[in-house]
Amino acid sequence: MLKKPNLIKRIFVYCCGPGKHQLLRVSLFCIFLSLLAGTVLLLLLGKNPLEAYRSILQGAGILPKTRYAGKKSQLTDFMSLLNYTTPMIFAALSVAVALKSGIFNICVSGIMVFSGFLATVLVGYSSLAPMIAKPLVILIGIVAGGLIGVLIGYLRHRFNMNEVVVAIMLNYIISYVVSFFIQTKFVDPITRQSVEVGQNARLTLFDYPIMNLKMEINLVFPLALITVFSIRYFINRTRFGFELKAVGLNSKASNYAGINVGKTMVTTMLISGALAGLAGVSYYLGSNASIQPRVLPSLGFDSIAVALLGNTTAIGCFFASLLVMVFDSGTTYMSSRMQVLREIAALITSILLLFSAIGIFFRALANRYAREAEEV
Amino acid sequence: MDTVVEFRHITKRFPGIIANNDISLSIRKGEILAILGENGAGKSTLMSMLFGMQTPDEGEILIRGKKEHISSPLVANDLNIGMVHQHFMLVENQSITENIIMGIEPKKRYLGLFPYVDVQSSNEKVRELSKHYQLEVNPEDIIEDLPVSTRQRVEILKMLYRNAEILIFDEPSAVLTPQEIESLLGIIKNLRESGKTIILITHKLDEIKKIADRCAILCKGKLVGVLDVPSTTTQEMSALMVGRDVSLTLTSTEHTQGAEVLRVEGLTVETNDHIRKVDKVSFSLHSGEVLAIAGVAGNGQVEIADAIAGLLPVKEGSIFLDGQEITTHTVRQRIEAGVAYIPEDRHSVGLVLDFPLRENLCLKQYYQEPYSNSRGVLQQQQMDALATELISAFDIRSGSGAATLARSMSGGNQQKAIIAREINLQANVLMFVQPTRGLDVGAIETIHKKIDELRAQGKAILLISLELDEIMELADTILVLYNGRTQTIKSASTMTKLEVGEYMMGVHVEKA
Repeated sequence: MLKKPNLIKRIFVYCCGPGKHQLLRVSLFCIFLSLLAGTVLLLLLGKNPLEAYRSILQGAGILPKTRYAGKKSQLTDFMSLLNYTTPMIFAALSVAVALKSGIFNICVSGIMVFSGFLATVLVGYSSLAPMIAKPLVILIGIVAGGLIGVLIGYLRHRFNMNEVVVAIMLNYIISYVVSFFIQTKFVDPITRQSVEVGQNARLTLFDYPIMNLKMEINLVFPLALITVFSIRYFINRTRFGFELKAVGLNSKASNYAGINVGKTMVTTMLISGALAGLAGVSYYLGSNASIQPRVLPSLGFDSIAVALLGNTTAIGCFFASLLVMVFDSGTTYMSSRMQVLREIAALITSILLLFSAIGIFFRALANRYAREAEEV
Repeated sequence: MDTVVEFRHITKRFPGIIANNDISLSIRKGEILAILGENGAGKSTLMSMLFGMQTPDEGEILIRGKKEHISSPLVANDLNIGMVHQHFMLVENQSITENIIMGIEPKKRYLGLFPYVDVQSSNEKVRELSKHYQLEVNPEDIIEDLPVSTRQRVEILKMLYRNAEILIFDEPSAVLTPQEIESLLGIIKNLRESGKTIILITHKLDEIKKIADRCAILCKGKLVGVLDVPSTTTQEMSALMVGRDVSLTLTSTEHTQGAEVLRVEGLTVETNDHIRKVDKVSFSLHSGEVLAIAGVAGNGQVEIADAIAGLLPVKEGSIFLDGQEITTHTVRQRIEAGVAYIPEDRHSVGLVLDFPLRENLCLKQYYQEPYSNSRGVLQQQQMDALATELISAFDIRSGSGAATLARSMSGGNQQKAIIAREINLQANVLMFVQPTRGLDVGAIETIHKKIDELRAQGKAILLISLELDEIMELADTILVLYNGRTQTIKSASTMTKLEVGEYMMGVHVEKA
């Protein structure tokens, strides 16, 4: 009567099943699957997948390219990768912190637009000295984002409104209100976007000459690194982190234990919002310099998948952001070098995001197979 | 008599523990066999193997003399084995009939084409079935409107509808009031008269004594004896079950009542939809006193405790602790003022199940020194030290010590963890709500001794229980609640169990 589970199931359980580092293994499995799916896609197009992946890494500055334009090198590519990764790190952390206390923050995009717009209008067009303007931009990002976060947290706690619905509506409201102001007051007639912010307020230095190279230097990347470690410390080691996790896991029991559930939720959303605000300023006044009206940045939504790929831990979010942005920034080079359509190249990034969002499913499936295997 | 079920050398292991160790047991047709054992003795595991939810690592199961591989509950169904689970598996917003026929719905076709479920004829069939076994229910009632005892009848009907011959009951009386238990025992007897074989998993010795023919006793995964019930005393059974003699009646230690600690005046509590659950209840609780609130389930006892702990808002009235009014204090202020609370619902209120045991043991103290420093940073070593201390002091058993997830612990050990945490708060008032529900004799004894010890230390204890025996054994003062109102409040020594029972049913109505 004994039936051996088939080989594929056994390998799957070995990869994703219960045990040490299960979360990490599942994430790696997701990445592997998406690479596999990308390979199939590239083979169908008649391209060499190994070559394609190599050119992605080359484009992102991980591997050296064969030829570089003047004043460019692998280092400049890598610095540009870090520049684009910075907002993603903040955005993913924002989603992760909210998820820890059981709130699904999909308002990251809206908050990014809101904080980016406020900083653009208040500081971006001013003639303040860079030493004052840049910290002010960061501060405005934190405050503006935090405010929206608090609003969501308060509505959720006080009126028991579903945060997802609130966030969707806020996304629309922010997007339309901001685009109204941009189109009536701050529009650049040529690009149809908002007028570019001044270099004094920008958080990224473009074409900055170092060692005879023209670099992109993201001034807030170090801040992003510090934030990763502080969030990790904050969640794992502090009193408030304890409360945040307790509320996320069981709000009834938290209330019974004397934790102020409402205050915890609002504070969590304050932090999550502030992080999203940082993502906004480092995006709109960093890697970009203007706001496109009526467009929510897709980065804000991608960050949900990135946070899930990173298992909602701070360190995980950092590596997941880096990985996704390697694909994102490397695909441009790949599409030109391999003569693959830009859309196809972007598809590979999307596949990665898709697979990372369903990691939980793989974990549950592997656990079930493992149980079945035990019983037989 | 014929043997219907035979376990042969059954062994089942879980990581780190042998749940069933070489168990051989045969069950005769038409008998009531009780399976008795402490929490974690392996009763449920053994039965879940019979019902196909688990499969044995070693040994075999014979049904009607034939070796069977019961790989799922569906296979068990085909072998005419049915089980009533402790937690009912019913769809709340469907009718009784719909629940019973679920999965084996009789289908008919409109115009010979469009299939639909034939509820009408099923209603009739269920009605007949319920008459035949004297399980009166109205098949068209919706589950969510029904009391627990009727839901249980629905579960029983569900098995009978599937022609079950071997019926497994998993602690069927745990959720019932004393009167309902009587009627359940009657039902079980009836089922035996109609030729069914019944397996009863239970902790309650008096139930076994009343209806069971034989009793199999498990202790730490091993079968320690199969007794003929009529010729055995309850003391013998409990001694075998826990592996030691248990004093079934506790001799209360000498104590003196002290000053008033908690006073509740005209307490009125309403639910969100303005249903009055507690109506003008007043009492005062003294140091060294056990005040028990008796009542049939759902008469407002739990709401009183929740209101005192601050989990429910007080509509009218006031609560005083040590002479200070705490009616509008936050939950944490009350905890700090000295109110400890062992809640009724271990899983959704008492514990954060996905937190490790350590975090759960620190759940009410994590923010204080020495578990957090003044800058709000948790002190892991201190938390570890507290957890280790409480684990050994209260004999909390778990797979991997303080790091075990609360979810993976057994019910008895979860309760021990909560009690350990609450006692460790050094509060003056301790509220125990259903502290021994679903626990085995050994654990109940420990908890009762603890309560008695706390009283001797001069703590004020509010005990809320549905077990009349527990109340009679421990209480100094008994308050009987009926429909949220005080029926009576008297010294325990002046009342008999029967009297309390009558008050609980609302027989005597006194002006308070």
